[in-house]
Amino acid sequence: MLVDIKNLTKYYGKKKAVDVASLEIGRGEIVGVLGRNGAGKTTLMRVLTGFLSPSSGKVTVGGCDIVKNSPAAKALIGYLPENPPLYLNMSVYDYLLFAAQLKDVPNLRLRAEVARVLDVCDIKDVKSELIYTLSKGYRQRVGIAQAIINDPKLIILDEPTSGLDPLQIFKVRALIRNLGSERTVILSTHILSEIDQTVQRVIILKEGKIVLDCPSGRAENNASLNTLEETFLNLHKEDMA
Amino acid sequence: MRKIFAIAVKELKTYFMSPSAYIILIICVAIFNFFFFVIIDENREATLRDVFLAMHFIFMTVIPIITMKVFSEEKASGTLEFLLTTPTTPSTIVLGKYLGSGIFLSIIIAVSSVYLFILEVFGSPDILSSLCGYLGVLLQGCAAVAIGVFISSLTKSQAISGILTYVVLFFIYFAEILKKYVPEYLSVILTQLSSSNRAEGFNTGVISLSDLVYYLSIIIFSLVLSRLSLERRN
Repeated sequence: MLVDIKNLTKYYGKKKAVDVASLEIGRGEIVGVLGRNGAGKTTLMRVLTGFLSPSSGKVTVGGCDIVKNSPAAKALIGYLPENPPLYLNMSVYDYLLFAAQLKDVPNLRLRAEVARVLDVCDIKDVKSELIYTLSKGYRQRVGIAQAIINDPKLIILDEPTSGLDPLQIFKVRALIRNLGSERTVILSTHILSEIDQTVQRVIILKEGKIVLDCPSGRAENNASLNTLEETFLNLHKEDMA
Repeated sequence: MRKIFAIAVKELKTYFMSPSAYIILIICVAIFNFFFFVIIDENREATLRDVFLAMHFIFMTVIPIITMKVFSEEKASGTLEFLLTTPTTPSTIVLGKYLGSGIFLSIIIAVSSVYLFILEVFGSPDILSSLCGYLGVLLQGCAAVAIGVFISSLTKSQAISGILTYVVLFFIYFAEILKKYVPEYLSVILTQLSSSNRAEGFNTGVISLSDLVYYLSIIIFSLVLSRLSLERRN
């Protein structure tokens, strides 16, 4: 078991943003977290990565508590927030080198590791460019490159294809599937087709709670409905009134 | 330690990748030159004592510009999320950021060391006393940078960060002036808080333990508050 969540809640003031009683994610799974805007996807991702601390409950990654043993847990995680966290005035290479230093890559392996992620994400051709000159698709791939530095066991991607054109979406999805062959990947999205084409397991969040958790193929047949879209709409039918 | 240096180097590169670093350097050197020549011409003494006083005052206006983006920019652009989700502790991030800004300040101070050579060529200055004055300028600058870094960690607005740092630095510098308007017990606190008197000692070549403790306390206190501010962002 790589990720283990027990009785997790996260409040913003009095508003409960996340309320997950139990969630376990195994090694090598590609999990899609679906939900409407404000369903708690980003908050759940931020708690999982240690950026936000839980109001109550326990989150462990690879057996390390994300609050009590934060650096050890974070060393196992690669994270791409919804807006790629890029220093726009840095070159792609310098940015990835900086990320590698912060992610405990040994000095002797720094350049080789940066070369590896440039290769995996297919961004070698822009390594000397300043980030602000890149297109959104390239920026997204630079963001994914920093997330996979030092080969983390768990990769968390928050809406990785948001705002990309169809070709860029195709490339990023192929990259995610490739990453998921060796690691655990959790990605959040509100694009239903993303789930069909990328993930093995679907979790649907509604008002911070998990309302569906099943393999992606079964979500499509859930409650005798034909498509994931219909399952999703059925779970939110009261919001449509 | 490696991560602290990595963050400090990145911070310095960020300063020098924008024109603002060069503008700050040029303006500081121009103002220092002006005061140096006017003061030397007026006093006809081979001492930098009054130049140091001017430097203390100028740094109060320059340091908020140096520190206002330290954390505010990271918060506004979302890169703080990147820093805090790497296996890097908030203390390391604060120390790295502080070191980067401190080195930038030291570069400005180092440029002014040319005055010491000019005095040495044309007069016989008390070198030890001048070095002591530089130590005072450096300590006062480092304390102000620490305050600026802390204030920057409180907001994502660079403007608010800069203005608040101005207000706090001016209050600390002129705190003693206010003491006649407040009750006795507060006037003691204001006297101890004021930084203008502390600088005086260093400028005349006197290093007192209480002044060292004063500056180091401000630096440590501000950096600890910065760390807490990062940890309690949620």
